[in-house]
Amino acid sequence: MTERPGPSASAVDLLGTETALPCGRDPQQLLEQVTEHGPVAVDDHQRSCLHCQAALAEFDRLWAPMRAVAADRPQAPPGVLDSVLSSIRGVSEDPEFARLDEGYGHTRISGRVVAAIARHHAARVAGVRGALGRLDRAGHRRGDRDPEFPETSVHSAQPSDMARGPQASAGVAGASTAIAIVLAADYGVDLPALADEVRAAVVAGVRAYTGLEPVSVSVVVDEVLLPRPGEGEPAHSIGS
Amino acid sequence: MPRNGIAFNYRGTGRSARRLEQRVAAEREGTVARVPASTLDPRRDIPDVGTPPADDPPRPPGEDPDVDRWLAGRVVEGDVEAYEELLRRHRDRIYRIALRVLADPADADDVTQEIAIQLWTGLASFTGSAAFTTWLYRVVVNRCLNLRRRRRPTEEITESTQPATPGPEARVVAGQELEAGMAALAEMPEELRVALVLVQLEGLTYAQAATVLKVPEATVRGRLARARAQLVKQMRSWA
Repeated sequence: MTERPGPSASAVDLLGTETALPCGRDPQQLLEQVTEHGPVAVDDHQRSCLHCQAALAEFDRLWAPMRAVAADRPQAPPGVLDSVLSSIRGVSEDPEFARLDEGYGHTRISGRVVAAIARHHAARVAGVRGALGRLDRAGHRRGDRDPEFPETSVHSAQPSDMARGPQASAGVAGASTAIAIVLAADYGVDLPALADEVRAAVVAGVRAYTGLEPVSVSVVVDEVLLPRPGEGEPAHSIGS
Repeated sequence: MPRNGIAFNYRGTGRSARRLEQRVAAEREGTVARVPASTLDPRRDIPDVGTPPADDPPRPPGEDPDVDRWLAGRVVEGDVEAYEELLRRHRDRIYRIALRVLADPADADDVTQEIAIQLWTGLASFTGSAAFTTWLYRVVVNRCLNLRRRRRPTEEITESTQPATPGPEARVVAGQELEAGMAALAEMPEELRVALVLVQLEGLTYAQAATVLKVPEATVRGRLARARAQLVKQMRSWA
């Protein structure tokens, strides 16, 4: 049984006792008001009532630590999911790399990096709700040529490499780095036009960020979704 | 221990990490496509150095239930990229809830890892009839509560449980409100804490929290009111 608070009890003491403030207001409601909207008086009574104002101020002061918790947005520590992801993906013994030959050596760029850049830029196109990026074909061994897709590679935009053609710059562990974008689009948009926009954005992005030249970007519209009210901005999931 | 050339390097320690390794290995038997590995972490992903229009802010990830549903459908079909995207959208939410319910970073790591695996192996239980986030909240809360019960099999937590140790007065005095808030949260009975985390901290409506917890909406309201009252009383006792 709850002990009834004395006449000098503070608003905190009254919580859970079904006892009102001297002015008749319910302290639990005042606490709810503070936790949801802050300590601002919401009606004429509260604005003129010292009991209510004292209660609002006290609750606000005591609730401050919880506001700090709510404002804190901790992120999953980097790396906490790496082992799980590696297990689920499997670990390729022969990852795809694109290669840029420079004057003093060469730069290798993982195919997954290219795919991630492609996804990033595809997702930012208006009308795209979600996008997935991947290499169009994978699994070639070093030095293999793909007779069906002789040009499905990412090759260097460097003039010297261009002269050697895709095969020369296709990478040290694979010759198949063409990009496929799978996306969900807003219902009602011109899908061929959207695909063209996505393709242009991906080509420009990959070219700008990697110096590579995507020679094939296939776009698969996998789903159309009804636009959400009040939304028109592109999907975006990087940099959360 | 390396398994098929894969080195597990769990941040979390203890039994759950080993169980994860076993579960993943079991799930991988002949069913998982092998694709090149990379990091999922967008903070180590692509620098956002592009020039998006100023009036075109990026939408926070995980805020589009239709896309979640689309991704979940692809995950059920075995799409690893969709899985990664789904996890990318929600991993911070998973970790955040686990951290606040469990009040232990190592345990939060373990639960986050367990949920990550469940999203790959058990997503078929998500029917799509409710929002993905609702399903996810339920999964995370249940995992957290199960972990707590496994760790403390004989401890009966009730609303009358009193803090075993005095509160961190010094933290309050020093203005370290975040630490004080987390400490107060950690000492709260779990059913009150979960209601507070879902509604007060995650912003769910009473109805959404009721769906997650499978209790009547009035129960959520009652728990939240008690949680708030207990918290301010506790903070005053520390002040």
